[in-house]
Amino acid sequence: MNIKHLIPTMALLAGSVASGVALAQSAPLDLVGPVAEYKIYVSENVDQLARETAKFVAAVKAGDVARAKALYAPTRVYYERVEPIAELFSDLDAAIDSRADDYEGAEKDPEFPGFHRIEYSLWEKNSASDVKQVADKLLADVKELQARIGKLTFPPEVVVGGAAVLMEEVAATKISGEENRYSKVDLWDFKANTDGSYKIVELVRPLIEKKEAKFLAEVDKNFKTVYDILKLYETNGGKGYVSYEKLTDKDRTVMAAAINKLAEDLSTLRGKLGLK
Amino acid sequence: MMTKQETPAPRDVTARKGTRIPDAPTNRRMALKMGVAALGAAWMGGVGAASRLGGHETNVTNAPVTNIASPEDRVPFFGKHQSGVINLRPANGMIASFSVLAETPDALERLFRRLTERAIFLTHGGTPPEYDPRLPPADSGILGPHIPPDALTITVSLGNSLFEDRPWLKPHKPRRLIRMTRFPNDALDAALCHGDLNLQICANTQDTTQHALRDILKNLADQLVLRWMQEGNVPVIQPGPDGLAESARNLLGFRDGSANPDAGDEALMNHLVWVGPERNEPAWALGGSYQAVRIIRNFVERWDRAPLWEQEAFIGRTKVTGAPLDKPYAKESDVPDYTRDPEGEKTPLDSHIRLANDRTPETQDNIILRRPFNYFNGVAKNGQLDQGLLFICYQADLEKGFITVQRRLDGEPLEEYLKPVGGGYFFTLPGVAHEGDYFGSALIAAVRAPAH
Ligand code: HEM
Ligand SMILES: [Cu+2]
Repeated sequence: MNIKHLIPTMALLAGSVASGVALAQSAPLDLVGPVAEYKIYVSENVDQLARETAKFVAAVKAGDVARAKALYAPTRVYYERVEPIAELFSDLDAAIDSRADDYEGAEKDPEFPGFHRIEYSLWEKNSASDVKQVADKLLADVKELQARIGKLTFPPEVVVGGAAVLMEEVAATKISGEENRYSKVDLWDFKANTDGSYKIVELVRPLIEKKEAKFLAEVDKNFKTVYDILKLYETNGGKGYVSYEKLTDKDRTVMAAAINKLAEDLSTLRGKLGLK
Repeated sequence: MMTKQETPAPRDVTARKGTRIPDAPTNRRMALKMGVAALGAAWMGGVGAASRLGGHETNVTNAPVTNIASPEDRVPFFGKHQSGVINLRPANGMIASFSVLAETPDALERLFRRLTERAIFLTHGGTPPEYDPRLPPADSGILGPHIPPDALTITVSLGNSLFEDRPWLKPHKPRRLIRMTRFPNDALDAALCHGDLNLQICANTQDTTQHALRDILKNLADQLVLRWMQEGNVPVIQPGPDGLAESARNLLGFRDGSANPDAGDEALMNHLVWVGPERNEPAWALGGSYQAVRIIRNFVERWDRAPLWEQEAFIGRTKVTGAPLDKPYAKESDVPDYTRDPEGEKTPLDSHIRLANDRTPETQDNIILRRPFNYFNGVAKNGQLDQGLLFICYQADLEKGFITVQRRLDGEPLEEYLKPVGGGYFFTLPGVAHEGDYFGSALIAAVRAPAH
C-alpha cells in the first residue's frame, strides 16, 4: 500500500515524541529559502504572462485570428504554471481562466470572460470581432494579478500545497480535455501544470530527501511517466503540442493513473514538511 | 470471522447467507433474510429448518426484507468462489469498470494483492488507521470512524481487453471471453462499455458501496483508472401476509427473478454458474464464472401508458403477483406449463419469459443466474426519466448463457420499452481461498509457469 510511509498518529496523540517528530521535524522555518525561490519563479511567470497576454490581446484587437490562435496556448502556459498562487485571488482567477460551464448561459452568457471566452470565438467562430472588449478586460485583469502577486506574502502551506493543487487541476479538468475544449491545446496546460508542480517538489526536495527517499522515488517515477508521454506528442521541435484529440486512449489512461497517484502522494507533502 | 468458506451445502442458510454472527437474534435475522417463509422455521429450529422450504428461498433475487438488514451483516470473503454471485442480493449494488495499469505479471500481481487487501479489510469491517491531522485521513470517513461490514461484497471480474492488450496474458484468456458485441436493439454508448476489470460492489446501504469504491480508488490510484460505473438498488419490501419470499420488482413494476435457478442447489450452481473441469477452460479459471453486464434503460413513461394486458403479455407473467399467465392464481414461484399452451394462447410465444426460457430439455443448459439492480439516473435530455435495469448475470459458459438467451430475446415485443446502452462481458475470478491467497493468484501462477 502506498500509505505505508505515513506515520500513524496514535503515537503522536499518546505523546510519543519520536513519532511526533517524524512529521514535525521540518519546522516551517526551513521553508524560508524554498518559498523565496518560489516567489521568484512565480513573479517571473507572471511577468511573462503579462507580456505575452499583451501580445495576444493586441492580435485579438487587430482581428488577426491566426496570430491570436498561435499565441493562445503559449501565453496561458505562464498562468497554468502558477495557478495555485493565481487562485488565491478568486475574483481574478474567475475573470481570467473560468470556463463556459461556470455560467448558466454557457458560451452565450454575457458574464463568461477571459481566455476561454476568447478561445471560444477564435476557434468556434474563427473570429475575434466579438471579444475585443473581453480582451481589454483580460489584459487589465492580468496586470492586476501581477500587481497583487507583487505585494503578496507567500504562505508556505500554499506554496507546498500547490504541488498537489496543480495535480488536482490536471485530474479534474485537463484529463477530460474540458479546459480548452475549443482549441484542444490541453497538452500545453497539462505540461505547464506539471512543471509548476514539479518545481515545488524540487524546491522542497532537499528538506525531505533523506527521510522520504521512497516517497520521492515514487513521485519522481510518476512525474517521469507524465513527461515521457507528453514528449511523444510534442511538435515543432518541442515548442508545442499536438491537439489533445491525438492523445491515445492508452496514453491518456497511463497519464491519468500517474496524475491520480501524484495527487494522492503530493497531498501528503504539506504534512511531511510539518505544515498544516 | 475470516474463516475459510466451504462451498455452501445446499440449503445451509448461514453458509450461503454468510452472516455468521453468534447471537440468536442475528440467526433469526439471517433466516429472515433468506425469505420471510423462513421466519417460522427459524423461530422453531434455527437455520436447519430452512430445508423444509421449497427451492425458492435461496433465490438470489429475493427482495431484501424491511428492518432485517444490519450493519453487522458479514458475508464471508474466503472461499472457492467469490461472494457476490450466489449469495442473496442486498439492497444496493454497483458495477464500476476500470482500465488497468499493469504491463508485467509483477504489476498485475501487485494490483491483485492490493485489491485483495482492501477487499478483506472492507468486507470484514474494522477501524482504519489514524494519521497525524496534518495528513489526509486514511479513510473517507463517510461511514464514521468504525467501518461496519454491512453485507459488503466486492467481486472482481476481468474484461477481454485486459488479456488482449497484453501478449503475456493473452494465452491465458478464458476460452469464451470476448468483447461484448452489439445486439440489434442496442444503442451502446462507448463511455459505458467494456473495461479491463470491473468491481461489483454490493451492500445493505449505498453509503457502504460508495465507501468501498472511494477506498479502492484512493489506494489503487496508480493501477486502476475508473472508466464508468452504474449503481442500482433493490426495493426493500415488507414481509408478505402469507410469509412467502418474493422477488423484488423491477422498474416495469414486475417481479424480477422469479424463475431464477436455486442458488442453494450446489450441484445446479456447479453446472450452470461455476466453471468446472468439464468446461475445458484454463485450469486457473476453475471456480470462476462469466459475468454479463448490461445497462438497460426502461422507457417508463411509455410503459406506464401501456395497457395492463399488454404489459403482462410482453413479460409473460401477471403483474401483481408474478404468477405465470397460464396459472394466474398461482404463486410467482410456480412455473408455466408450455406443453399445454403450444400456441401461446396463455403465455404468448414472443413473451419475454417464454423467449428467454422455453422450458424444453434442449435449452436447460442456457439457464443463467440473474442478479440485477434497478437504477435511477435522473432525467434524460428529452425530459423523460432515465431509469432502468443494471442487468447482471452469471453463467459457466457465456455463449450458452447470456449470449444465447439474448439472441432469443432479440426482436421481442418488450424491446419497444427497453434500450441497452452499456455493459460488457467479464470473467469473474475464482475465490480467494484463504488468508495469504489473493485474487487471481492461479492466473498469475499460470502466467509465470514455464511454457511447454
Ligand atoms: C430491462 C430489461 C429486462 C426486464 C425489465 C426484464 C424483466 C423480466 C421479468 C419481469 C421476468 C419475469 C420474472 C422472472 O422470472 O424473473 C424476467 C424473466 C427472465 N428474464 Fe428478463 N428482463 C430484462 C432483461 C433481460 C435480459 C437482458 C435477459 C437475458 C439476456 C433476461 C433474461 C430473463 C430470463 C432468463 C428470465 C426467466 C425466464 C424463465 O425462466 O421463465 N432478461 N425478466
Ligand atoms: Cu486553468
